[in-house]
Amino acid sequence: MSNTSIDQIKILFDDILKHQLAQDTWHWLSASVKDSNATAETFTRIPRKTGKSLVKLSAPDEQSLRELNNATMHDWTVDRLARVWLLMNLEEKDKTKYIRQTETLFAGAEVSELVALYTALPYLSFPEHWMAQCAEGIRSNISDALQAIMCNNPYPAAWLDERAWNQMVLKAFFTDKPIHLIIGLDERANRELANALSYYAHERWAASRTVNPQLWRCVGKFIDEKLFPDIERIAASENSLEREAAALACNDSSYQPAKELLNQFPGSKQSITAGQLTWGTLAEKISTNKN
Amino acid sequence: MCCSNNLTEKDLKPGIDVTFYQDRIKGMRFFDPHVHMTSRTTDDYQAMADAGVVGIIEPAFWLGQPRTGLSTFTDYYSSLVGWERFRASQFGIKHYCTIGLNSREANNEPLAEQVMEILPRFIYKEGVVGVGEIGFDDQTAAEEKYYRLQLELAKEAALPVQIHTPHRDKKRGTTRSMDIAVEHGLQPSMVIVDHNNEETVKEVLDRGFWAAFTIYPFTKMGNERMVAIVEEYGPERIMINSAADWGISDPLAVPKTAALMKERGLSDETIRLVTYQNAIAAFAQSGQINEEDFMAIGSIDQSSKFEGNTILRGGQQPRIDKNSIIIK
Repeated sequence: MSNTSIDQIKILFDDILKHQLAQDTWHWLSASVKDSNATAETFTRIPRKTGKSLVKLSAPDEQSLRELNNATMHDWTVDRLARVWLLMNLEEKDKTKYIRQTETLFAGAEVSELVALYTALPYLSFPEHWMAQCAEGIRSNISDALQAIMCNNPYPAAWLDERAWNQMVLKAFFTDKPIHLIIGLDERANRELANALSYYAHERWAASRTVNPQLWRCVGKFIDEKLFPDIERIAASENSLEREAAALACNDSSYQPAKELLNQFPGSKQSITAGQLTWGTLAEKISTNKN
Repeated sequence: MCCSNNLTEKDLKPGIDVTFYQDRIKGMRFFDPHVHMTSRTTDDYQAMADAGVVGIIEPAFWLGQPRTGLSTFTDYYSSLVGWERFRASQFGIKHYCTIGLNSREANNEPLAEQVMEILPRFIYKEGVVGVGEIGFDDQTAAEEKYYRLQLELAKEAALPVQIHTPHRDKKRGTTRSMDIAVEHGLQPSMVIVDHNNEETVKEVLDRGFWAAFTIYPFTKMGNERMVAIVEEYGPERIMINSAADWGISDPLAVPKTAALMKERGLSDETIRLVTYQNAIAAFAQSGQINEEDFMAIGSIDQSSKFEGNTILRGGQQPRIDKNSIIIK
């Protein structure tokens, strides 16, 4: 993220947060952020001061947020926003101190603190430093913490190397996260990941377990003679969502047999051209089915 | 870990083999203010949820053998507010904890000094409802020193104190624990004196402290004795816990005792006070318990609590059929 956009985000977060807080809470927080020796205490105390109601975002704020960093505050509580704000505004002149302080917060965090810390990854100073912490977070099994990294978070796509990125996407499927909320899912698709996901699908099939149809979203562009039989298999599925996923994957592919396979489903092909069938509409159907 | 995309209502339903005592406490909800879940399995969580336990407090304690370094304390406290809280949430149980340096390990003074330094980092965390369990074991000078220091810490943080009373020389140890708390200016209403028995209860109640009883086979209270105590003293300021841990203990001690009280004819209101409300009232003085977080859980009939109800859905784990030899 460029310096300009981080500055703009800071201004936007200031504005949003101010509107969620009582005036004296806002004063307490903006005074506390200046005392770098009290950071841990302030960070921990935030929910006692702010409460934990859901953030109410105005339509223009929501729009600006999406334009600036492609993220949303859907499901954020006020304490989470205030903690992220605090982390964005910490004194950063002394790099060693900044890093030590922030790492200490990670080390002793309770569940909602972890969520706030990982949510704040894209806004921390020295962004290159937090790759290992992000990868460490992906190893966690606390589902809220995982979701804070995986979903609606621009940091992983921007900073993780391919190995760590692929681990994250695989783990998102393993732990049944809302895949479509992973920022950069299409842009960072790669052959290695496509193959790993295919292995994963084969394991699931061998165990007579279902496979999330969105998995093929990460595979389409890399269909070759090895991956094509998977697509043929789901194209013949009894589950209409899997057939739709097969059509979409074929549509993403330049592999000739995949194109021919799509031609066998003129209805789906037409819906894709008309924009009525997309990975987005498929994701929506999957989440509706779950609820 | 679950990775099924196809959870159905059936997967979440309680097992049909409800034991006889659960019939008597159907629809009641329980709060166990002392249970060491890090030592227990998911089967225990499931059984507790099925029996109506909606909230628990896990006091920081001794892990069965002494720790040798500060990091293991840090990691332990972190796990109480992190991983264990998450584990409980998977079963619809609200997990709180108390943080403190236990009396046995207070005897390792160089380490105790370091632990005292990190305690302030944890006691203000969300869901930390007190300083505990602290107090006496051998009743040594070192134990007394760190007990006093932690009373000061609790006072400073305006948190309740959960006192572990010693197994040996219990009566005198209990009196001394209360004397010292009063000496440090703590209100008895902010102090929960734990592991009481027939010999200690009168003084604890007379002096205005909360009296907690641990139903723990062989070494602490049995629940028939417990019923007799409630019959004699009434329900005011009395609470029951399981203190289930790595020893032979029973995480269902609270619901089982409620069932026994019901059988012996104690009123529903009395049962509610000693197995739920009193513990919440005592520890809610921390400002960290929001009863609404788990009200909705227990007010619904256990056998149908998942029907058409999405409260527990976040992270809810699918149920496995324990009686089947097939594992899918």
